Amino acid sequence: MQCSQRYRGPLSDASSPWTQAAAQTAAPGVPWTADLTPSRPVYDGRLGELYTIYLRHLVLMLLTLGWSRFWGRTRIRRYVWNHLSVLGDRFEYRGRGRELLIGFLLALLLLAAWGGLMYAVWVYGFHEKPFASFGLFDIFSLSVALIGFPLAYVGHYAGLRYKLTRTRWRGIRCGMAGSAWHYGAIATFLGFANAMTGYLLTPVVSVNLARPRISNTRVGTLPLAFAGGAGDIYGRYLGYYFLNILAWIVAAVVVFMAVGGTLEGLGLSFDDLGGYFAKPSLHTVALVLAAAFAAYIVFGLLILPLRCWWQAYLLRYLVSHSRAGNVLFATAITTRQMWGFLVLNYLIVLLTLGIGWPWVMHRTLKLIADQLWIYGAPESAAIRQPPDRAPGYGEGLLDMFDVSGV
Amino acid sequence: MRYYDGETAGVEAVALRVTSHELVIYRPADSSIVARWPVPELVVLGDSRHEAAPPVALRGGNARLVVEDPAWRTQLASLVPALAPLALPPIRVGRRLASYSLALVAVVGTFWGLLEYGTEYAAPLLPYSLQAKLGESVLDELLADKEECTGKVGLAAINRLANELAREAGYKHEVKVHIVEGGPVNAFTLPGSILVFYSDLIDRAKDSSQVAGVVAHEIGHVVHEHPTKGLVKAYGMDLLVKLLTGGYTDILATLGTGGNVLLAMRNGRAFEREADATGVKLLEKRGLRADGVSSFFEQMLEKEPKDAAAAAGIWSSHPPTAERIAATKRPPSGRPAFTYSEWQALRSVCK
Repeated sequence: MQCSQRYRGPLSDASSPWTQAAAQTAAPGVPWTADLTPSRPVYDGRLGELYTIYLRHLVLMLLTLGWSRFWGRTRIRRYVWNHLSVLGDRFEYRGRGRELLIGFLLALLLLAAWGGLMYAVWVYGFHEKPFASFGLFDIFSLSVALIGFPLAYVGHYAGLRYKLTRTRWRGIRCGMAGSAWHYGAIATFLGFANAMTGYLLTPVVSVNLARPRISNTRVGTLPLAFAGGAGDIYGRYLGYYFLNILAWIVAAVVVFMAVGGTLEGLGLSFDDLGGYFAKPSLHTVALVLAAAFAAYIVFGLLILPLRCWWQAYLLRYLVSHSRAGNVLFATAITTRQMWGFLVLNYLIVLLTLGIGWPWVMHRTLKLIADQLWIYGAPESAAIRQPPDRAPGYGEGLLDMFDVSGV
Repeated sequence: MRYYDGETAGVEAVALRVTSHELVIYRPADSSIVARWPVPELVVLGDSRHEAAPPVALRGGNARLVVEDPAWRTQLASLVPALAPLALPPIRVGRRLASYSLALVAVVGTFWGLLEYGTEYAAPLLPYSLQAKLGESVLDELLADKEECTGKVGLAAINRLANELAREAGYKHEVKVHIVEGGPVNAFTLPGSILVFYSDLIDRAKDSSQVAGVVAHEIGHVVHEHPTKGLVKAYGMDLLVKLLTGGYTDILATLGTGGNVLLAMRNGRAFEREADATGVKLLEKRGLRADGVSSFFEQMLEKEPKDAAAAAGIWSSHPPTAERIAATKRPPSGRPAFTYSEWQALRSVCK
């Protein structure tokens, strides 16, 4: 029960979701007796079963040149959702392949319309002008690269909305309020501002992008709430930021010394090295590859754990500052577990040439089931079926402008 | 058994009674009835192969009945035929994995085979106008920061030879040769019958037969449609990698690119051998000196005795130079491909 001890402290903090939940539950002057019985989600999916669905999906993908992906993705979701339960009740996925197909076709139409617009710009703006070497293809590629960045954010939000509206728990449909375009605009602006300030705004970006995603999420008529603020996590981030710079310097020095030491051992100088690079032989290429691999290892040892340390902290913060009515959440995910999630999963997919993807999904769901703590139970009678209708299609933009997992 | 009324997130533990025309859902504590569901309107949302416990519902309704106990599900399915998906026989995971893996290997093999052998037939199906547009756009990119040589007589001479050789091979489109000022000592072919020569190649050639040999070699690429075939294969390989990885993981894009490069290299070696053979054959058919191809390679080997292509093996886009010399070796007989004045004009095409 490490988690409940960890989060006993913030009860006195007015912004804490724990305090807010207490204020909501307790009448004035009456001691707080809210039910905070802990539980965790349960994932009872089996890797072998998941693989049968995934391999079938791959075979069909090849036979249909990718057009079966909408139905394959849906089947995988149906399996995963229904094997995950919270408070003893399984999730239900009610999406359909054809809805994803329609979403994709609409995104294709959007792109075609954009192509038409760019053609008009080229014909009236660039064609047979002094800078005519700037071709139609250049304009289209450049413009798609420019709109792709904000549209990927819009797609993320709209995709999340689609998945939530197709998710039911206890027969109640989940949902997501808010505008995907608004989210896309904020995310683009914050992303740009962060890049311009040397990534010193990362806590502001993380919190301000998490807030709409969390607080617009609905379980029926119950909205989730998020009580985080960037100020809370700035201290840790600055520590990470400067340690990261230090780690890069150390990594560079280690690599430089390792290369220098190897050259000295071989009786070579840096000038000789320059000579080898002028006319690279197969041995030089092999040597460069070995050096790159060694540099990657150094990078992996020094930089990635540091990033995982920050990411684990950020996730703990975001989860513990979210609540659904009087239900509170917490996680004690460690740096090592985050490393397994971010780095090991990446390596599994890479080294298995993608065939390890279901394994990664299985590991991730197990991690969620092990590490997410839920305190209390919802007031079931107060959560009602939402009156609004769900969108009829989804995920087209996500499919078009971003890679997306299941 | 758990019952959700579909209006609130409340959950009730319930029991069931099945009659011939309805499913009666009641509270076991006091036997009070929660709901009566007519059998013809019952549906199972999903099946027991994809869902651990597929919910039972009334068609179009929000209320759900979830039966966690497999024994109960089997009994229900046997009593109500509409509920059969509740108790489908479990998947034999081992057998399924084996059969899908085999199917996957077979489909990948077929796809690969189609790429390898089908490109021969698929490439010509690509409209020529599209190939030409593609080639022109690459040429535009290439010429953006380079100077193109414009000597009319020299250009006319090299274009004449290129088109004569192409016609000899029965090629029906017009070939257009561009000469770019400077190096490297190289020439290449773009889709749409576009040949690009670097002027350094012409400057360093010992005689006109060497340039004619290179022209003939490039015409070999043109008549066999190598640039388009290469593109189709590269696109096919890209598609294969994307499909095989589920289409979702950008991590593998890098690997895909790597695979593509290797494939392109292998294609490259096969294409080069074919272009060498065709080039020499076309020169001989026209009664022109055909020793230029091998003598050009000999000159390259003299300058670079350590043959990079031979050392690089499968990493090379070209076959080993010594092998190419042996394959294209011909006597210095036949008439010259260029007249003396044409050759002089070609030498000064950039001036």
